[in-house]
Amino acid sequence: MNQMTNPNADHHTPMLRVTGLSHRVPLETDTLTILQGVNLEINRGESVAIVGRSGSGKTTLLGLLAGLDTPSEGSVELDGAMISQLSEDKRAELRASRVGFVFQSFQLLPALSALENVMLPLELAGMDNPDRRARELLERVGLGERLNHTPRQLSGGEQQRVAIARAFACEPVVLFADEPTGNLDNRTGQAVSDLLMALNREQGTTLVMVTHDEHLAARCARQLHIEAGQLSEPTAEESVS
Amino acid sequence: MAASQKLHSVGRDWRERDVRVVLAALMIAVATVATIALFASQLQRTLVTSASTFLAADRQLDVENGRPIPHSWLEEAHSRGLRTGQMVEFSTMVFGGDRFQLVSVKAVSDEYPLRGDLEIQTREGGPRETVRSGPPPGEVWINPRLLRLLGLTLGDTLEVGNETLRVSALLLREPDGGFSMSALAPRVMMHKNDVAATGVIQTGSRVEYVYLFAGDTAALESFGAWLKPQLEPSHEWRSVRDGETLSRSLQRAERFLLLGGSLAVLLAAVAVAVASRQYAMSQRDTVALLKTLGLSGPGIARLYLRRLAIWGIVGIVGGLAIAIPLFWILASMLGNLLDRPVELYFDPNAVFPALATAVVSLFAFAYPPIRRLRHVPAMRVLRSQPTGEHKELWRDGVLALVAIFGLVWLYARELDLVVALLGSVVLLLLVLGLVGGVLIAGLRQIRGGGNAWRLALVGLYRHRGASLSQMAVFGMTIMLAATLLLVRTSLLDDWKAQLPEKAPNHFLINIAPDAKDDVAAFWRERGHPLEHLYPMVRGRLTELNGTPVKEAIGNDKNIGALNRELNLTWMDSLPDDNKIVKGEWFTPGTVSGVSVEAELAERLGLKLGDRLTFTVGSETVTEPVTSFRTVQWDSMKPNFYMAFPPGGGLDGLPATWITSFYLPPDQKTDLNAFTRQFPTISVLEIDHIIARIQEIIRQVTLAIETILGMILAAALVVMAAVVSATLRDRQREGALLRTLGGRQSLLVRSTMLEFGVLGGFAGIVGVLAAEAAVYALQYRMFEGSFSWHWSVIVPVPLASALLVSLLGRWQLGPVLSVSPMLLLRRLE
Repeated sequence: MNQMTNPNADHHTPMLRVTGLSHRVPLETDTLTILQGVNLEINRGESVAIVGRSGSGKTTLLGLLAGLDTPSEGSVELDGAMISQLSEDKRAELRASRVGFVFQSFQLLPALSALENVMLPLELAGMDNPDRRARELLERVGLGERLNHTPRQLSGGEQQRVAIARAFACEPVVLFADEPTGNLDNRTGQAVSDLLMALNREQGTTLVMVTHDEHLAARCARQLHIEAGQLSEPTAEESVS
Repeated sequence: MAASQKLHSVGRDWRERDVRVVLAALMIAVATVATIALFASQLQRTLVTSASTFLAADRQLDVENGRPIPHSWLEEAHSRGLRTGQMVEFSTMVFGGDRFQLVSVKAVSDEYPLRGDLEIQTREGGPRETVRSGPPPGEVWINPRLLRLLGLTLGDTLEVGNETLRVSALLLREPDGGFSMSALAPRVMMHKNDVAATGVIQTGSRVEYVYLFAGDTAALESFGAWLKPQLEPSHEWRSVRDGETLSRSLQRAERFLLLGGSLAVLLAAVAVAVASRQYAMSQRDTVALLKTLGLSGPGIARLYLRRLAIWGIVGIVGGLAIAIPLFWILASMLGNLLDRPVELYFDPNAVFPALATAVVSLFAFAYPPIRRLRHVPAMRVLRSQPTGEHKELWRDGVLALVAIFGLVWLYARELDLVVALLGSVVLLLLVLGLVGGVLIAGLRQIRGGGNAWRLALVGLYRHRGASLSQMAVFGMTIMLAATLLLVRTSLLDDWKAQLPEKAPNHFLINIAPDAKDDVAAFWRERGHPLEHLYPMVRGRLTELNGTPVKEAIGNDKNIGALNRELNLTWMDSLPDDNKIVKGEWFTPGTVSGVSVEAELAERLGLKLGDRLTFTVGSETVTEPVTSFRTVQWDSMKPNFYMAFPPGGGLDGLPATWITSFYLPPDQKTDLNAFTRQFPTISVLEIDHIIARIQEIIRQVTLAIETILGMILAAALVVMAAVVSATLRDRQREGALLRTLGGRQSLLVRSTMLEFGVLGGFAGIVGVLAAEAAVYALQYRMFEGSFSWHWSVIVPVPLASALLVSLLGRWQLGPVLSVSPMLLLRRLE
């Protein structure tokens, strides 16, 4: 799938380029500004953590970066494609081929088995033998014995491992993770983040992670802080401290 | 205080989607069943009233060859608010001018007719007048034929026994004239008060006293109940349903209403079942939470029972609030259609099935899963599915079937109907379960999607649990709606065939053999060709296998056909609407044998080969029974108990001919010319009877269409409820698929295809099960014949596929309009 990167994008262009991004939501009487004038570049293979308190706008930013929503102002360029200007269907195509997701609440379909959940993006991409690839991935995340279990029959950590397997199924060039350990206890969270980092390294994926967990953020090469909708990058000293 | 708390808790529950679905299902269930039951009850009464003109009353008490009834009976009727009237019928010789003639006299009281009207002419060839009462004392109204037979003109006098009465009008039609060819003697109608003075009625005379009653139905029924224990063998208490002409049509209409109501009960139960089960399932987490908060098992049971009870009340009140105005609207529509006011009848009993349906299905479906949850440890409820669910699902399924069919039984109290419906539903579920299960399991082989079809089929497999249960409910809903559709179609077709647009509405009786051709020419010239002409020989059945017939069959049996002369005929071919049920019709050249009407044969206990002896004038004819045949008495065509082959037993006996033809209302004046030219031929005008029957059929058709419409609407609601049961999961899945890169168009196409396949398959199985149900019902309930209904079998699955795929598209709505990010958060 990596070969499917945009032919216009060479290895020197950043994976993500955000310019003058703002996002506002109309309320009944007022308008709520969630993001304000965000500029950002993320290089290929880089791992970036976006850290901030609840309500600081980090998940909204993630959604906009991934093309799940369109900004009120500004542009987002992902792997050479100007996604803020693409139609919904074009963005969907882009997500199918180049983007993976891991959510805080796992977002597994309760009626489907672990195997079927992982097969979902493969089927959407029209891949032949999606079950073989899904099996391999589930074995890789240590759930080879639990292929036919439904989410209800799995623990939180196991569910998140299924979600990680699903995220890597289509060999994305960029992975977006929204508080991937937010619903897990420390030890499980640690194991899940180990797995995420390891797979990320193995596949050379660009990782963009939203978290309020400083320890998890510290495992990324770069940390960005978001507060009241504004993004700032700490200096080297700040990020070490 | 407690009440306001309860209200508050209902308000809080209302905010939960699943609760709203349950309440909506309950209201629809109550509204549908109650409206249909109320309307059916109203319609039944309207039909009976409308048909009552055939009796000139709502009820008749006939006393044949007996004494008049005690006056106290009539007083009792008056005290119950009923109106009464009287008639005395007898045969006698009358003298007019210098000639005499045997006539059939009907002497009526002032009140006659209590229902319907009479048609007379006060001037020969003058306009036809409609009047609401019989002749006053001192006058007679006579049949036009009698006027000619006696050579009288209007205003002349007629001697009836010792009394001389003035002929003041020609009697053209009486409401209770019925359709009886045995009334061959011309009619004379006089006032009842003149009867005594005639001196005609002596001890031992053959006289029929007829008492007429009219009033509201409850009073009629209570009077009937009071009367029945006192009736003697010669008394007959008759309602219009006991008559031959209409009873079958009315019975079938009533059956249809019963079937419609039963199907409504079934559908309503399914709707409540689906919704409440879904609600119960959605409560797992809440129950777990309540348990972790320390609520005990019995406490949980009490909590939910109380909630269900409150919803039951809210649902019932809401449902009735819809049903009652809807019923008033339908009832007044009925009045408009009939062009006369309809006595509105609100039958409180009709509401009970609706209440029972709501309460029983609510508790039978919502409570068992909730009750089970209380036994499950809080952690297990939170973590994984309780084990042993399958065994209990079976138990729930059986309980559900018992509950639903118990309700249908309560409503209809017709074993045949319950068995036919239950059988078809079980068959449907088995076929859907087995075939659907195998087909869906076969989809397992499909891996990988990409195009909409593959994704749709993968989707069917992926949602196999939901797919199968949705298929079962869709299948059942379609089966119920299609059953009603099929029965309606065949009923209406039957009626249309029975009384086509230009059904013969006049009979000519007593045509002399040498006048046959002239009569035919007369009407042919006027553009009204005659139907088939049948010969008619009047004869009495006197012996069975050489023994006097009354002795042979037992003297205790009172069979009307043995007390009077029968119309015997010969015919070379079997009329279209007759069917041989035993034996064989005459082969060409056969001159021996007689074919007997099947019901009479059964009452007489006849066997093929029995020898029947008839007395015709001074002659006797003896022939073996060679076949039994059914006759459509309500076909409004000449029908005969006994048919001989041409050149057979009746050969050489004096015969007259009978025929029928269609005469449009605006050409009735042709009858004047006809009766002038052929004075000895009787004209029996049944155009009013036919018009009335057609009106009744129109009413029934309206009712049937209305009920069908309501059932279809209820079916649609059930299907929407079923789809909405998985709405949340589907929307979540849609949002996730979009997040994972599914294009909107792909999502729409694959979802519509997935639901379309599901709906199409459910449609095929449903319509076939409906055919099975109709097959079972048709013989037992509607006496029709069965045939495949391609006009329904083909379009129903297509419509079902389309409808269900649109429902699928509908539930996808927000998935397409909202950003997937927002939707995922909202549904979390």
